[in-house]
Amino acid sequence: MDALGNLLLGFSVALTPINLFWCLTGVILGTTVGVLPGLGPAATIAMLLPLTLKMDHTTAIIALAGIFYGARYGGSTTSILLNIPGESSSVVTCLDGYQLARQGRAGAALGISAISSFIAGTIGVFGLMLVAPPLARFALRFAPPEYFALMVLGLAMVVFLAGESMVKALLAMLVGLWISTIGTDLFTAESRFTFGQMKLLGGVDFIAATVGIFALGEVLVNLESRGGAEIFKLAKGFKNLLPTFRDLKDCRFAFLNGSIVGFLVGALPGAGATVASFLSYGLEKAFSRHPQKFGTGVIEGVAAPEAANNADAGGALVPLLTLGIPGGNTTAILLGGLILWGYKPGPLLIQEHPELFWGLVASMYIGNVLLLVLNLPLVPLFAQILRLPYYVLYPLIVGISIVGVYSVNNSLFDVWVMGLFGLLGYLMRKLNFPAAALILGMVLGDALERALRQSLMMSQGELSILIARPISGTLLFLAALILCLPVLRKVRYWRVAAIEREA
Amino acid sequence: MKQRAMLATMIIAGVTALTGGHSWTQEFKPSKQIEGVVHTGPGGGSDLLARAIAEMLQKEKLISQRMQIVNKSGGGSAVAMAYLAEKKGDPHTIGFFTGVWVTNPLTSKEATVTVKDLTPIVRLILEPAVIAVKADSPYKNMNDFIEAAKKSPNQLRQSGGSVTGRDNLMRLLIQKATGAQWTYISFPSGGERLSNLLGGHVQMMVIEPQEAGEHIRAGNLRVIASLTEKRLPSLPNVPTIKEQGIDVTIIPQARGVLAPPDASKEVVQYWEGVFDRFAKSASWKQYVEQNQFEDGYLKGPPLNKFFDELTVLMRGVLKEAGAKVVR
Repeated sequence: MDALGNLLLGFSVALTPINLFWCLTGVILGTTVGVLPGLGPAATIAMLLPLTLKMDHTTAIIALAGIFYGARYGGSTTSILLNIPGESSSVVTCLDGYQLARQGRAGAALGISAISSFIAGTIGVFGLMLVAPPLARFALRFAPPEYFALMVLGLAMVVFLAGESMVKALLAMLVGLWISTIGTDLFTAESRFTFGQMKLLGGVDFIAATVGIFALGEVLVNLESRGGAEIFKLAKGFKNLLPTFRDLKDCRFAFLNGSIVGFLVGALPGAGATVASFLSYGLEKAFSRHPQKFGTGVIEGVAAPEAANNADAGGALVPLLTLGIPGGNTTAILLGGLILWGYKPGPLLIQEHPELFWGLVASMYIGNVLLLVLNLPLVPLFAQILRLPYYVLYPLIVGISIVGVYSVNNSLFDVWVMGLFGLLGYLMRKLNFPAAALILGMVLGDALERALRQSLMMSQGELSILIARPISGTLLFLAALILCLPVLRKVRYWRVAAIEREA
Repeated sequence: MKQRAMLATMIIAGVTALTGGHSWTQEFKPSKQIEGVVHTGPGGGSDLLARAIAEMLQKEKLISQRMQIVNKSGGGSAVAMAYLAEKKGDPHTIGFFTGVWVTNPLTSKEATVTVKDLTPIVRLILEPAVIAVKADSPYKNMNDFIEAAKKSPNQLRQSGGSVTGRDNLMRLLIQKATGAQWTYISFPSGGERLSNLLGGHVQMMVIEPQEAGEHIRAGNLRVIASLTEKRLPSLPNVPTIKEQGIDVTIIPQARGVLAPPDASKEVVQYWEGVFDRFAKSASWKQYVEQNQFEDGYLKGPPLNKFFDELTVLMRGVLKEAGAKVVR
């Protein structure tokens, strides 16, 4: 068992006091920037990179990776408590998490989020340790047609985000897809739907839009019903603020589903944690015994996406460490760090610097335990925020939203975008359009369009390239199956009704 | 005495205001934190370079104040350039430019600020590029690839960035020079470009030698030509594209520093002085070597001439490529 020997080497590196200290510092920092909406792990790591030059290199990557996966733990906090997505990968967590908070189960939601983050984070490291090289080779088989099929599968999840009306969900999704086309077209360098606005050349900022729709929209709707001073219920006592044994049992499938989906999607350089979180939420609902309850506050609806975005952190390190290929902003900075420290990231990195790779892997096991120990006691503390009366809480939400959105790009324009999307979110709630479907369109639109056009360039315009390849064909078939679900349900409903009439 | 000094300052300030910043104030020295503006988000090529430069400037004690990197991403380089234009005359802000800062205003109507509106300080590096194929591909040199592309037009594929990027413009020039045709597929991130080449979904890629280095050593990639005037010291056995009989203009990928519009002579002199010393520093030399950049140090009138010539060259190439040129 070679891996075991290497892992022991890793622990001998990671358990030195200095590395333990920096691992702890990293995960604490990570949790903090995760909790704060706006400021993300990418910007934090970039700011701290110069400090690491004087450190031992393994220590440095242990600290910076701690920020990376630690941020995924914190992202859910504001999603659940205030309906403000802390990171883009925590948008889905708002759906059921915030509803749970409204029912007085904020503690349970926060607790489950920490536990599922721990389980998925650990499974992610396990995967990184055992299957990194073969998984990286498998991920190389993903070309534009496969990404297109993956995005279509993601879009099919709209079926599970629809509330009362499938038509409204599809409409919202189409608007989301349209919004994603705003900006500069990669293939022709021409601007689309920018209305002569230079600030729109880069597209609509995703965080600004989601914070507007979720947080501001929610505040606006609640302002209207000002009559009742409806304050969140919150259980008294420390113990009642944590998840029950039953919650854990309800989530066992979600833990596994989120971990696997998150890890696999994370290993693909062109996907990302947000896609993974939507996919795992959809899967969870598809196999649930009570799908109709999703969106009203079910605990699995928090566990699945939170597991997915944490396992994604492990997955994202696979192409980085085995091929020197970064999948996103944060891993790109880690890559920059490796080069700055004098490494040559690439296919030979693990072989030539085993202490770096295995030290990191071992530190991630430790880091995940530290995060759980840190985060669980914080749950009751954070939950206290809901004891605030609404005339304090709502201005607080608006304030945090503005500061958070501004800090992403230091752009006042983004704050206006958020305001506009707040109004949109308000209208959508009033008219019963599912906001999540719009967000889904926005998340996937860009990648979907790109992958489709890249595929057609590859095949000189032949559409058959999308179904002729085994992986993309399979994924598209799955998407078609999911899209048929509502129709099947309708048919069954009619049959039952017909049988009842006959009887 | 103090009052006199204050009076003098006020007069100087008044003259400065009247002459629009071009005045004869004493030697400039930053008095507060310096903002370094980049056009990519954290993790982009420009961002990583700017952060490394800021770190080295402080390490070599060439600047007395801290330098904070500010990310103004969006619209190619348009958002960052507009931000610099707003900072007109501000001596505590500089920007890190790349070739995009020249091409972007040419193709985008909304990108109204051009490099000529800003104040160029220095060009620091030229980034060389090479043409790489998979190690197990049948193309041993540029000629093999061109012949194969001629035999089945548009069947071979190249992965790259935006259509106005250097990799696509070089493809268009080579296509014109040889009559071969192949397909160009844009990917927004360098990671996807490389993974599509490694996965065999595209056959060729224009890549920086540093990025290709480890994959060459691991036996995944083969370099068939360098897009440089002279052979690269790190790849002495790889002939340049001109050596292989394809006579094309080599489009440079330049990186350097500029200031907001109307920077005073003192400010320009200060920054030129800082970067003069910086370009000679040991840490910078090591960084250039590590990343396999080419030293491209240039300032003053030659730098202005470089921008003028590059603009003309780019306009020509873009027009030839069929892109919409708006300026």
